Amino acid sequence: VIFFLIGLLSLPLASSFVHHAGPCFQQRYASAPCRMTADAEEATIRTPSTSDSAKGLDLPSYNDVVEAAQILEGIAHKTPVQTSRLLNEELGVDVFFKCENLQRMGAFKFRGGFNALSHLTDSQRQAGVLTFSSGNHAQAIALSARLLNCQATIIMPHDAPKLKVQATQGYGGNVIFYDRYGEDRQLIAQDLQERQGMVFVPPYDQKYVIAGQGTSGKELLETLASNEYNNTSLDYLLVCVGGGGLISGCALAAHSLSPNCKVIGVEPEAGNDAQQSMAQGKIVTIATPPTIADGAQTQYIGKLTFAIMQDKVDRIVTVSDDELVREMKFFGERMKMIVEPTGCLGLAGLRKLVSTGDIPAGSKCGVIISGGNVDLERYCELVVG
Amino acid sequence: LDTRRKHSSIMTRNNKSNGKYCIDFSDVEAAAGRIEGIAHRTPVLTCASLNQQAGGRSILFKVEAMQRTGSFKFRGAVNAVRSITTQQQDTDTKLQFVTHSSGNHAQALALAAKTANCHATIVMPNNTPLVKKAAVQDFGATIVMVESTNEAREEKAEEIRQETNATFVHPSEDPRVIAGQGTVCLELVQQVKELPSTPALSAVIIPVGGGGLAAGNCVTLRALLGSNVRIVLAEPSKLDDAYRSFQAGQLLKHAPDNTLDSCADGLKTTLGPNTWPIIRDLADDIITVDECDILRATKFAWERLKVCIEPSAGVGLAVVCYSETFREKYPVEQYPNIGVVLCGGNVDVLKTADKMKAMGIV
Repeated sequence: VIFFLIGLLSLPLASSFVHHAGPCFQQRYASAPCRMTADAEEATIRTPSTSDSAKGLDLPSYNDVVEAAQILEGIAHKTPVQTSRLLNEELGVDVFFKCENLQRMGAFKFRGGFNALSHLTDSQRQAGVLTFSSGNHAQAIALSARLLNCQATIIMPHDAPKLKVQATQGYGGNVIFYDRYGEDRQLIAQDLQERQGMVFVPPYDQKYVIAGQGTSGKELLETLASNEYNNTSLDYLLVCVGGGGLISGCALAAHSLSPNCKVIGVEPEAGNDAQQSMAQGKIVTIATPPTIADGAQTQYIGKLTFAIMQDKVDRIVTVSDDELVREMKFFGERMKMIVEPTGCLGLAGLRKLVSTGDIPAGSKCGVIISGGNVDLERYCELVVG
Repeated sequence: LDTRRKHSSIMTRNNKSNGKYCIDFSDVEAAAGRIEGIAHRTPVLTCASLNQQAGGRSILFKVEAMQRTGSFKFRGAVNAVRSITTQQQDTDTKLQFVTHSSGNHAQALALAAKTANCHATIVMPNNTPLVKKAAVQDFGATIVMVESTNEAREEKAEEIRQETNATFVHPSEDPRVIAGQGTVCLELVQQVKELPSTPALSAVIIPVGGGGLAAGNCVTLRALLGSNVRIVLAEPSKLDDAYRSFQAGQLLKHAPDNTLDSCADGLKTTLGPNTWPIIRDLADDIITVDECDILRATKFAWERLKVCIEPSAGVGLAVVCYSETFREKYPVEQYPNIGVVLCGGNVDVLKTADKMKAMGIV
């Protein structure tokens, strides 16, 4: 019901949704200068509000993360925590990776997607769920919907990468294509919500999505607190930031389970809207950033995620694309893992902070590896450089 | 081959006195004790889309690609080194180890020696890729280059062994190495028990080259699961010495005109007098797969499992996903839950991706 209302209420705000004639990131598929924000892989319908303050926001709490963990039990993978002796020697700190690239559908997004869909009523599920994304969120919703026996509709541009379209369809998602230069996906989405009662599921700015993502941080902290890791407490937790769903969920977990742990966000240099937002005390919108971290090309963080970040995230740092490629090579060559560029943000940020001395030697550092969805051709293209 | 005859030679836990094979399960258990805290207890992963590719089977991957030095070889090397160091009287002189290998065993022995404060000399053929040499040097070993013939390698290794009083550690025939490799399935069986609502493995697929991994884990699996598990070894059809030996019932080497031109570069060595009898008696089957299937499976693992495996590790997955022989002999309904050992991840992704492209694998 809430999603439906949000959908309706955002109608008058459609015109305020930012359309940029500005720079569009020319990805591996050529495109004319875009009129819309469509290149943002993770956009959302703005949650309506009369003011930009945190008042009246339905924020998740750690209890929601605990509940999400119960819902995900036996469904999401309890992904491994990995360490690299070589890296620890090199950096002089102890690094613990939570490998969400090994999660179902290849990214942490599955957690939030499944948790969100689990909270829908039977009639909502019957009506079907809707989102727009060509990234990991689309696949997460498609897979979660199939597991919960409900239909997912994903609105994607005609020129979305074939692999992502195939993956989404492979999970049973119904893909509706639109022309990113001629059509307005917002209108398409709203139409589907009104006429068919579909429920819109945002990629990050939603209570159950955030709580679901937070279970990755919860699992990491609990694993480290066990005998296997000699009851280790983290000093720092580094998390990539796109829309802020993952970092805010993890911050909720860290705040409750390990209050002394500093949660640090990492963004691509070109896409530092979260960093700017934290600095300015309000949500800053940017043009779609040109970066290889396609999961962090969001133009703005969410209202919920921003509120949590302001309260519980220590700071945001940025890294260059070259630094991401370096980590992709490290993960592949040393840890034998395929990690997508966005997934490398955490480690790249850690390396930077260690080199500046901001993270002192001997620190215990957790890093969330967000995903591994990069096709082989793209992977080779990036690491050959 | 009639699998029933396998049951008559099932390893009992303590038949050391039998002396039928070069090791028994107690050697594997001892190895587990020696490698604990040194080798990684690698994860067991599952992947729904790979299960689909495998016709609905439930595959449990033991990911030895994530082992230290990038392959299971580290286990055998550590066991060999630590078996000697514990007997060491004089702690002043560094113990010396030597082997001939350009592959994963070279790196494994180099690091195993380093972590035990010993020194390793690795004899390598002079056509060894630079990156492999660099990896071994990084681990503190000394490299001696020779002509790339078996005779040259063996002679030089023997020379060094005598000169430096080193212990020679064969990559697959050394009983301590075989016992070390056997810890892979010791862990896998334990880890499967710990997984909620997961029945015991009905089959385990293991790649076979020199046979160290296969032999060690035949011993382990028979000791732990008896005749309730099928042990199926996987081999490239271009390197099918183990397959032919198994069919013939006697140890056969590669055909002299075999150019050994396989993408599974870790599986080029042949079975020997220690590994062969164990495999002959305790394995149920050996199934071969062709180059295209090996690379297809490897790509699938990269893209779906997100693990960087080398083609040698793709061999086992190829058997499960693409082998008609496997599907017919081990139908999904009767063998729903299988283990696959992903033996290593030391691969040049770019070069291998090119090979895949050249073969039309998309």
